[in-house]
Amino acid sequence: MKNIDLIKLPFSKNNPILVQVLGVCSCLAVTAQLKPAVVMAISVTVVVALSNLIISLLRNTIPPRIRIIVQLVVVSTLVVLVDQVLKAYMYDVSKQLSVFVGLIITNCIVMGRLEAFAMVQKPWPSLLDGIGNGLGYSVILITLGFVRELFGSGTLWGYPVVEKLGLYGIGYENNGLMIMPPMALILVGLIIWWHRSKNKDLVEQ
Amino acid sequence: MAKKNFSNTYIFIYSAVLVVVAALILTVVSVSLKPAQEKNQRAETKQMILKTIGIEATRDNADVLYDKHITEADNYYTFSGGIILPLKGTGLWGPIWGYLALDNTGTVVGAVFDHKGETPGLGGEIATDKFASRFIGKKMDTQAIHLKKNADKSNPYEVDAISGGTMTSNGVTAMLAKAYEDYCKLSSSPIMHRTTIDTCNTREEATE
Repeated sequence: MKNIDLIKLPFSKNNPILVQVLGVCSCLAVTAQLKPAVVMAISVTVVVALSNLIISLLRNTIPPRIRIIVQLVVVSTLVVLVDQVLKAYMYDVSKQLSVFVGLIITNCIVMGRLEAFAMVQKPWPSLLDGIGNGLGYSVILITLGFVRELFGSGTLWGYPVVEKLGLYGIGYENNGLMIMPPMALILVGLIIWWHRSKNKDLVEQ
Repeated sequence: MAKKNFSNTYIFIYSAVLVVVAALILTVVSVSLKPAQEKNQRAETKQMILKTIGIEATRDNADVLYDKHITEADNYYTFSGGIILPLKGTGLWGPIWGYLALDNTGTVVGAVFDHKGETPGLGGEIATDKFASRFIGKKMDTQAIHLKKNADKSNPYEVDAISGGTMTSNGVTAMLAKAYEDYCKLSSSPIMHRTTIDTCNTREEATE
């Protein structure tokens, strides 16, 4: 596989959410608004990329019998770092994400990429794979955050778009279902449907 | 993965070194970011306290507004209309806390709660304005407020508990009872309501 594909493929044919179906739980939980979605996307991308890099550098020294524990130690250390930085510089967002930052540790994308890729690949491709998958995850997260905040709360990044357009005046109402987690699942389903109809080779026989 | 045989000694040393390195990194980061984090937490506390008396502050102007409206005493706060009691307790998963503003007759004028890790949608609901607003108009004079399922709205000492959040609700009740005890000990406070002191004193004698 060419290096460029490592970045490109997770955007479509190997998207972690749409195709690998990893990291769905967090994508339902944090996408009610755009801002936490973007912060979560950045945090996960940083964690996947760095943990892929570190595990790949260590891969020949890691005893296979304790490899999962080693992976967990590396991932948790990185996640705690991200959490601490958010608490210091983006306190409101860190409050909003609360438990979900900690749950990056259990985000299947991270462990999935470590086991499937970083344990057997050189550091540079591993870093690219991490960035690619992080970005692939980000695209979906940000799309969901955009749609759900716009239709659910009538705002974007906290800015009252719908109110400024004067739509409430003519009887428009926010869709309360949009801010509930089940709606995120339905939206992901719709995206997967659209995605598969564009990529027929992904459809299982 | 290279098929190597790793000895037990190697595995032990490897894991020991790994955790020590991880611990070192985390310690350094934690110590160096502490001042910034504490500043945020202090501002948040001030925002919460201001909210109980109906002032919405942002993180930036919290300091100024706080100094203007709130006076700190030993372990409580005062504002022009009464007293603000700090609440501290435990929920189901971790610490819960809050502030309760009482006017000079012991009537609640505002409340605010927060939690570290209660379940979102269940116990976590205590952090919502909807829950906090149930306290307004209730009384902390002759007895503490407690949470109850299907509470009687006209009873000034009962507040409706959270459905699905019984453990957290119990935590809130315990926290309020604890705050009430401390409140009773504040008899020297100049703004204390007479009845409250009397009741508290009687209660203490009765228990002795």
